[in-house]
Amino acid sequence: DALLACHRSYKSRPTHGIGKFKYLLPKELPKRRKEKVQMKEINAGTEYQYGDINIQMTSYDLCLVEHFAQYVHRLCNRLSIRVNESYAMPTKTNEVLFLEEKGSKMQLDAVLTTHQRVVQICGLSSTFAPILLEIIQSSQPEGVHLLMKQHTEADFKSRLKSRPELEELLAEMS
Amino acid sequence: SAAARRPWRLFGAMCLLRLPRITQPLEKEEEEMAALMEQIELEKSLYSDHEMRKLEEEEQLKRKMESLYDEDEARGKTVVMAQDLEEKWEQMFLRFKAAPRITDADKSNDRMSLNRKLDSNLMLLVKQKIGNQELWLLPQVEWQPGETLRSTAERAMATFLGDRIQAKVLGNAPYGIYKYKFPRAIRTENNVGAKVFFFKAFLQSSDLSQAELKADYLWVTKKELGDYLKSEYLKKVNRFLLD
Repeated sequence: DALLACHRSYKSRPTHGIGKFKYLLPKELPKRRKEKVQMKEINAGTEYQYGDINIQMTSYDLCLVEHFAQYVHRLCNRLSIRVNESYAMPTKTNEVLFLEEKGSKMQLDAVLTTHQRVVQICGLSSTFAPILLEIIQSSQPEGVHLLMKQHTEADFKSRLKSRPELEELLAEMS
Repeated sequence: SAAARRPWRLFGAMCLLRLPRITQPLEKEEEEMAALMEQIELEKSLYSDHEMRKLEEEEQLKRKMESLYDEDEARGKTVVMAQDLEEKWEQMFLRFKAAPRITDADKSNDRMSLNRKLDSNLMLLVKQKIGNQELWLLPQVEWQPGETLRSTAERAMATFLGDRIQAKVLGNAPYGIYKYKFPRAIRTENNVGAKVFFFKAFLQSSDLSQAELKADYLWVTKKELGDYLKSEYLKKVNRFLLD
């Protein structure tokens, strides 16, 4: 008897679908793929505020770079600086060949991978920017290159893949 | 005209920092933690390509020793075995000598050289004559009307270190301010006291081969500042210095 009495609310039962709530939420339209985001803030004014700034960290060591990027992100959260995005650029692989000529020619290979992480920040006031820069510089780990620059279209485009077929068609058309 | 007269004289001072070159040594807990994490990671990790190759070749050698039959594949290209590669790398590593962390300048405690404490910030202190006294100060120069305070600070740097200094000044806003009143003997209506505004700059290049104009200069860390600066001055300066 206990085995047969399973309390599943069937469609005939009055409490069927009592836990549903999605019909109450506003309807979300499906996302479009193209994102053409171009934000340029005021660079001059009474209160100097920088626009989008990219902090780029490159290194050979993956763990260091990732941990440093996390540290920078958390630091900005603590200092209530708005972080737009924090993404990774594709890794570049370099093959290093040693051509030693001691008797027989030997080739020692070494494979080096370069990793890059970018943290994008918006709304830095210029009184605070040098302090932030100094903090980040003094807490830089060994082997990590730091670069702070303003966000440009070229930076944005470097993340997107080029479509050769589209370019060919465009060239044919024009 | 009483409102236009400012009784304070303005000075711009430059705090020139040489950034640390090496990381600071880890503390005891940090070292223990690092060792523990390394051990955990080593035990959790999988074999890499090189290690797999080494194991396979060891097994092949064992098989060759025990039973004398050569593998049919007759591998001609195992001229270079993984073991040989490892030995070669070990030799290269032994030949490599890292630069010393504690340089000669550290041992001789020569405070005039830049090679001293490679793991902490070094600041420039200069002996200047103010009033009657010769004091150790951050290089400062009086502000002249019509120029920005930042250019005053840059001028201060240039007078003490020569023109070709590759230093990057951080921002247009001063980092700290120190004001003091002159002793009653010198005080006039126009000159009640002086205000010194501090700016920060990072030293880009590490060689100062250009001659320094005044001979009394020191490169000093934050802890050693107390030996040279006066207490009030030191308090204000310490406020904007990161360790």
